[in-house]
This record gives sequence, structure tokens and C-alpha cells, in this order.
Amino acid sequence: MSHRSDTLPVPSGQTRSQVLRDQSIYTQLLEVARHVQQTVREHFVQLNRQGLLQERRHTQAIREQEALLSHLLCQMINLLQSGATSGLQLQVPLPSEDSRGDVRYGQGTQLSGQLDPVPQLSDCEAAFVSRDLSNRGTDISALYQSSFQDYNAYQKDKYHKDKNTLGFINLGTSENKLCIDLMAERLQESDMNCVEEALLQYPDWRGQPFLREEVARFLTYYCRAPARLDPENVVVLNGCCSVFSALAMVLCDPGEAFLVPTPFYGGFAFSSRLYAKVQLIPVHLESEITVIHTYPFQLTVDKLEEALLKARLEGKNVRGLVLTNPQNPLGDIYSPDALMKYLEFAKRHDLHVIVDEIYMLSVFDESITFHSVLSMTSLPDRSRTHVIWGTSKDFGISGFRFGALYTHNKEVASVVSAFGYLHSISGITQHKLCQLLQNTEWIDKVYLPTNRFRLREAHKYVTAKLKALEIPFHNRGSGLYVWINLKKYLDPCTFEEEQLLYRRFLDHKLLLSCGKAYMCKEPGWFRLIFADELPRLKLAMRRFCEVLEEQKQDLIVKQLEDAMRE
Amino acid sequence: MFTLPQKNFRAPTTCLGPTCMQDMDSSHGDDLEGECSRKVDQKLPGVGDPAMLSSGTSYLSSRGRMIKWFWDLAEEGYRTYHMDEYDEDKNPSGIINFGTSENKLCFDLLSRRLSQSDMQWVEPSLLQYPDWRGHLFLREEIAKFLTFYCKSPVPLRPENVVVLNGGASLFSALATVLCEVGEAFLIPTPYYGAITQHVCLYGNVRLAYVYLDSEVTGLDTRPFQLTVEKLEMALREAYSEGVKVKGVILINPQNPLGDVYSPEELQEYLVFAKRHKLHVIVDEVYMLSVFEESVGYRSVLSLERLPDPQRTHVMWATSKDFGMSGLRFATLYTENQDVATAVASLCRYHGLSGLVQYQMAQLLRDRDWINQVYLPENHARLKAAHTYVSEELRALGIPFLSRGAGFFIWVDLRKYLPKGTFEEEMLLWRRFLDNKVLLSFGKAFECKEPGWFRFVFSDQAHRLRLGMQRVRQVLAGKSQVAEDPPSLSDPGAK
Repeated sequence: MSHRSDTLPVPSGQTRSQVLRDQSIYTQLLEVARHVQQTVREHFVQLNRQGLLQERRHTQAIREQEALLSHLLCQMINLLQSGATSGLQLQVPLPSEDSRGDVRYGQGTQLSGQLDPVPQLSDCEAAFVSRDLSNRGTDISALYQSSFQDYNAYQKDKYHKDKNTLGFINLGTSENKLCIDLMAERLQESDMNCVEEALLQYPDWRGQPFLREEVARFLTYYCRAPARLDPENVVVLNGCCSVFSALAMVLCDPGEAFLVPTPFYGGFAFSSRLYAKVQLIPVHLESEITVIHTYPFQLTVDKLEEALLKARLEGKNVRGLVLTNPQNPLGDIYSPDALMKYLEFAKRHDLHVIVDEIYMLSVFDESITFHSVLSMTSLPDRSRTHVIWGTSKDFGISGFRFGALYTHNKEVASVVSAFGYLHSISGITQHKLCQLLQNTEWIDKVYLPTNRFRLREAHKYVTAKLKALEIPFHNRGSGLYVWINLKKYLDPCTFEEEQLLYRRFLDHKLLLSCGKAYMCKEPGWFRLIFADELPRLKLAMRRFCEVLEEQKQDLIVKQLEDAMRE
Repeated sequence: MFTLPQKNFRAPTTCLGPTCMQDMDSSHGDDLEGECSRKVDQKLPGVGDPAMLSSGTSYLSSRGRMIKWFWDLAEEGYRTYHMDEYDEDKNPSGIINFGTSENKLCFDLLSRRLSQSDMQWVEPSLLQYPDWRGHLFLREEIAKFLTFYCKSPVPLRPENVVVLNGGASLFSALATVLCEVGEAFLIPTPYYGAITQHVCLYGNVRLAYVYLDSEVTGLDTRPFQLTVEKLEMALREAYSEGVKVKGVILINPQNPLGDVYSPEELQEYLVFAKRHKLHVIVDEVYMLSVFEESVGYRSVLSLERLPDPQRTHVMWATSKDFGMSGLRFATLYTENQDVATAVASLCRYHGLSGLVQYQMAQLLRDRDWINQVYLPENHARLKAAHTYVSEELRALGIPFLSRGAGFFIWVDLRKYLPKGTFEEEMLLWRRFLDNKVLLSFGKAFECKEPGWFRFVFSDQAHRLRLGMQRVRQVLAGKSQVAEDPPSLSDPGAK
């Protein structure tokens, strides 16, 4: 329960009240809601970890946490009832929203009767833990809602240049929106539309043979594989997160772990935990450049060794290492030498390596050469090296739901295909994907040059703005994002302040991702997606500047007040 | 939550059993763990005994090894069929598939409809991350579609709809969000065996069987009738074994019986579930494949008042009714927003392409085509195929069940098994396969009486003729074999 003091949202401390003073009830409410969700999440994590689900009622610690939850909920209700919110368009995903018009809640609930200063609260409290869901169902729901609530708010209130000029602009979700015109045109060509009997019948659960052949050929060519890749080593599923989830299931037993250099794409945490109950152990990287680290957030074998040793001392069974190359959110690319060292480290310790190369064709700086792990002439441990790729990022079609696994290990390929029927892709979509990947001429001559050019231009625009604002950023010419450092806008430099700044961006209808979501250990980092159309990007950057200006003013006032008090 | 995988897999009698794969790939036909080890020696020299899985040089976790072991068994049958699939021109002596429940009668209609220009629409939002519940335009269309075809007394609501990539995913998701590891759903048997696998692979949920009998006695008015008494008994039994039951799965129209539940029966089952606070998952994936109008099918969504609407969850998909199992589209309808939201939370892993979602919306919206072209033609063809196969069976003097719903006939071949054992059932199944016709045997549906087989008849006439001819040959030969017991005791008989 050591986290309790951190999560207490009560604006009682001097600093907090100062920060919150100028903020609307709306923001406060959001803030409390965030804390509630955080606490719920930790609550369940705690329950899972200790295996206490059966005897939860008897555990003092759990009861305390539930009391805290109850208390937080009261606060939210009080804020809501304060009347100050009238006229505000609240978009907080309140728990009660999930139980609209539903009167069955209210008795026999898990939280009631613990700490109940507001009598009419019981319904709301009860709604928080549904009687109808299993504990893991509740956990999944809560986890999802806390991860996606802002994304959902964006989905409901998207910016549109004519219809909704005040809507959200999303620079938080990693999507390439720069080449939709090319893709839409390509997908409407006649070769895309094919309805064959076999496409409408039960498929090969590893993926239709024609698509696996095409994926093998495509990866051989674009990853510059020294030898032709084998279609039998390919499994296609409906998205890379599905591939990752299936891999975690078959490579680890529940409670076992993967190492992952941090900051890392938060989706991995969700995917490994959701079904597989696999833990991710961060290998924390630092922004500072030292004698050993020649560039920020550099991954070294020493760090890997250190993290592995520490995890093993804690009794963790580490089964693998997860690498993303090009890196997300850093935009870094691993050199062949570095990559080789990581792979040798893994081999030394019998670790699997999952290499996610989903941004492999989104390297827009022409002076950089990306080296796929599949291009290596000799892999240190072929049977333990598994590559993930998909079309979501490189072709900007995340709505297609396609992810592929390439592994030299036939055993792994075969068992991942056992998950095929839970993660399968429509035959019609498989045909389209095959046509898309087949047309190397269009990809090489039309799509990739245009895509790289547009990425470069958008990147140039955003980084120029950042430079003008004197905001340090980290980007090495690949991916759809820049990793920016907003520490100077945080005082004190804490994750709480980071969260508040994130909220401030949201208040200005701008969605970004904050470093905490990538488990970054230094507060103040944000990931900003630049792969968006210029008019939208311009407006987004205007909002971005406004927020930072506002934040700066607040900091000045605060510093003045502090100085006067002294 | 972190139960040891060995325990998870051992506890349920047939959890992850290979036969449950059979509807998805082909009829393989092994079952029961006891039998598995015997088969391993015989048929799968490369695969180790599950007891030895913990040792060895595998790169997989023990969970992964267990999944692989079961999967390989299923794959073996899959490969057998696909390596020798019947083709009129290229492989006329290949295997005819009467085992997989697919409708192959209306591809001409479907391909024409799916090739129309409205199906080729591409717009940016379809290519980007979707609303994980399913695009709103599709959920709206589904709500209207179900309101109309399920004859719902009130308009159904799009917010109660969640879209996933197939019924398997939906079973998996519901099992995960409604049950803890090791908990169970009641299911009347015989049932579509693949569900075992669906609820187990990710969810680690098991099935508790409600065994039904073919014999008509006392209160039962027809064979394999489900009664509340049987439900109560199975529930008590599960509790006495320490298994916590969270819900009941009902398939209506029934697979493999081809039967439907009357509204009164349905109501009784729902009241039973409410009494015990059980969820009810009603799988109505064959709802538009009722080709005999006299059958009087009623969707659970047509009931005036559901006893426990918050615990009633309905499934439907296009796999069967629109003959598109390869399209991977299924939908959940539930008034319970907690359940809808929890299932949607898993949709990131079970989503389908935006372009396909658009196509589905177009298809479901086209009421004229569905009502005037597709359904009448589909029903006429199903009926003709059904008539052909059932007359063939009658001519052979073989009893069968089928009331005019679904793609299959539940055939009683007990008279061909002299001892009436599952071993004999398996041998007969193999004889069919050796004679190049693939069927599904009763054990795969957890039927407690050996000798029942499911015949899928929704196939082209020439394939049906050839398949039935092969069936006749086997049964004719089998009758002789049946008089010659020694060959039965030979397990290697081919």
C-alpha cells in the first residue's frame, strides 16, 4: 500500500492546491477521476499479484484500498454536485455512465458500507464493480477505459475543418494520415476486389497460403534477407498486438517475464498482461549523455545484464527480450552492431527475442539505413528470434487489422497458428493485402517515395516549431513521432505535473501522449505524432504553443508567489 | 488467477480436446485424453506424450507446449483432408467433406452481391483505428437487422451491439469477462464441440455438460429434449464437484440436432438461469437457416419479456446464414453495458477490417436482396439438398433427426456398431474417411450414446451424390464387417 500517499488526490498539500487553484472544476474532476482509475488499476494489480481474489474480504490492506476508492468516488460526486459544473460539457467517463438506467445495482456490492459520507452514493459505488463481470472482466474493462478514455473522447469529438473546428486533434495515436489519398486510390483499383469461394470459406488459420507466400516474398525483399524467407515460417493474424499476445502465451507461463528497454510502446504492457499474464520488466534508459552513453536513451548490454540480474534476484523467470526497431517512442534505429550485441546477450541467457519492426519502412531520413534483424547473415539464435511486422504504420492502414509473425522456429509458428481462429482476418481482406504487398513497383515508385517525402516535410515543420520554442526533442529520422522534452514547463518536475500538463493539452483539445504511458522514468517527456495533414498539424501546433504559453505564465506567477512568501 | 497451466489443462475432461476443432477445420476424430496417448504412439511419432511435455528441448513454455500438443492433433486431421480435397476435375477421388458446417449452396448469389459497386467503397476512416466496438454505421445496421429478423418487440439499440471477428472470438471474450479461470458454463450435449476450445484457449473456462438422451420417455416429448430438470441436475452435479457455474450456453437453432427451441421452452430455460443467477449465452448463428417454415423458429430477442435481460447475451454471425465463414464477422447483442464494454475492451485483439465492416453494413442494409433474392433461394436450395440426403437415408433404413433448421442431419448409425462403443464409432468414422467421405462423429459433440453422426448436406448436388454413394458403400461393407467381429478388434484396421 506504499503507493497510497502518491495517489491521494485530496488537494490538501500546499503545492497541489496552488496548482489546482486556477483550474476549473472540470479539470479537477478529471484529475480525481484519473486517480480513481489509477487506484482501481493498482487495486486489481494488487489483488492479482497476491492471488487474493478469493479472500479479498478478509484482507485488511484490500479493505483499506476499497475505502480509499470509496472516498475518491465521494469526492467526484461532491464536485459534480457542487453545481459549479453546470453548463460544462462533461465528458468524464463516470462509472455511473456504464449502468445507465440500471437499477439492479445497489445491494450486496463490494464497496458499500466502508466509508460513506454521501448517502446517495451507493449506486455509484456499486456500479464500479459490476456483479455481472468476472474479476478479470472488471479488470480488463477498467484497464481499457483508463487507457482509452481520452482516445474515446477524441473519437466522439474529432476535429473537422468545416463541421467541428473546435474538436480534438489527435497527435497522440500513432497513425500515418499523410498518404490516405494514395492508399484509397490503390485500394479502389480493380485487382483489389475479388470474391472467390475459398475466400468466403473457413481459411487456413495461419493465413491463406497466397498471403503467407506474399508476406515471405515482401519481407525477403524489404528486409534484405540473405536467403529467401519461407512462407511456412509466416503466421498472419489480425494485428500486431494479437501476434504479441499469442507469442506471450506460448513463450511464457503466467507470471513469467520479458525484458523491455524503456521508454517503450505501452500497448505491449496491455497485450502481455491481458490474456497471457506475462510481466514486462523495464530496462530503464536515461536521457543524459555520459562516457558510456554516446546518445540519449542508449541501450547497452550492461543495462540489459543489470536488469536481468536484478529480475532474477527478485525471483522472476525472464523468458525473453522485446525490441522495437525503429524504436517507438524514440525514433531511434539500432545499428547492426548494437543489434548483434543485444541478440548475443539474449543467446547467452537463453532468452527469446521478439523484434517489432512495424516502422521499418517509415524511415524517412535518407541518410539513415535501417537494418532489419532478418537481414543478418547469421543470427546468434535463430530459433529464439521472432519478428513482427504489419501494415498499420508503414502503409497507414491501422483499420485493416493485419499483423505478421516471421520466425525460423517452426514449433513457434505452428503453435501461434493455434490462435488463428481467435485472431483471424477476413479472406477478402487477405486478398487485398496480398495485392497490396505484391505490387512492388507501385510501392517503390509511388508509395514509399511520396510517403517519405511527406513524412520529412511534416517532420521538418514540427521540429522547426519545436526549435523556435527551444524545446529539446529526440528524433533520428524514423517513425511517425518526435519525443520531446517539456521538463522546463514542469515545476516541480514530477509525474503529477506531467499529468496536469497533459490534461491542459486535452483542455485545449489536443491529444498527446505523456512519458508515463511509455514507462519513462524521467517526468516531462511527451510523444508527439507529426504524420498528419499540414492544415491540421498547423492548428495543432498553434494549440500546443498556446498551452505552453499558458503553462509558462502560471509558472511565473507561481514562482513570484513563492518568492514573495520567502 | 495464476493457476498452474498443467492444472488448467487437466481439470476439464476435454478442455482443448482435439475433436472440438473439427467444425473449424475438418473432422478429425480423436478425443479424450486417455485415448490421446494411445493415438500418439500410433499416429503421431513426432509428438510426445503430454506427461513428458515438461522435459525436452522445446522452445515453448509449458503452456505453449500443451497448446501445441492439442493443436498438432487437430492439425493432423486438417492436413489429411486438405492434402486430398475432392475436386471434380483435378481430384475426383479426393475426400468429400460432409463434416464441416459450411453452406456451399449460394456462392453464386453472394459473389454477385459482394462484387457490386457499393461494396468497393474506401474512405479514410475505414482505414484508420476504429471504434473498437465496431464502426457505428455497422452497429446501427446490425441493430436494425436484428430488430427485423429476430422480430424484436422493441427496436434494438446500436450501443448494445459489439462487433468481432467471428463467433469463436466472441465465445472466448464472453468466457473471459464472465468467468474466472476454472469456472464453467453449462451446455446441453450433443453440442458444437469447438466451443470447448473457444472458451478454454484464452479464457481457461470449462464446460459442464447437460447430457441429453435420444430415447423418448416420460416428460420428454422428443429425442434429445432439454428440460429444466436436466439443467438443474447438471448444475447440482457441477457444484458437488466444486465447479462454479457462471452461465448456460444455448444454441438455437441447435447444432448438431437441427432442432429449435419453442418460445415456451426457451422461457423455461431463461427462468431457470435467472433463478440461479446464471448468464445465458444464446448462439443464434443459424437463425436464418430455418428452411422449413412450419418449424416456427423464435429468436430469444423476440420474447416479450426476458426474465433476466442483464444476463442474456445473444450471438449472431454471417458465417452460416450468409455462407461466409471466411469473412470473420460476428456480433454480440446484450443490454448489459458492463458486458458490452468489457467485450469491447478485448476487441483490439478481435477486430476486423473497416472495409469489411462497410461491406457488412451494405449487405445487412439490402433488405430487398435478402428477402427477395437471397433467403428464398437459399432456403429452397437447403430444402432440396436436405430432401435428397434424408431420402437417401430413409432408403437405407437409417433413422435420423432433423426438423428443418441448420445445415445438418443427426444420423443414428447405432445399428452398425455391434457393441455400441465409442471405439466402434471411431472405427466406423475411419472407414468413412478411408472411403473418402469425411463426417463428424457423435463423440465430438460430446454425445453420450455412441453411434450418432452429423451429416452436413449444404453442398452442391454432385458432391452430395458422390458422398452419399460412398456412405452407402461403407455401410454396405460395414454390415458385412459387422458380422465378422475379429476385424473390429484390430486397431490398425484401415
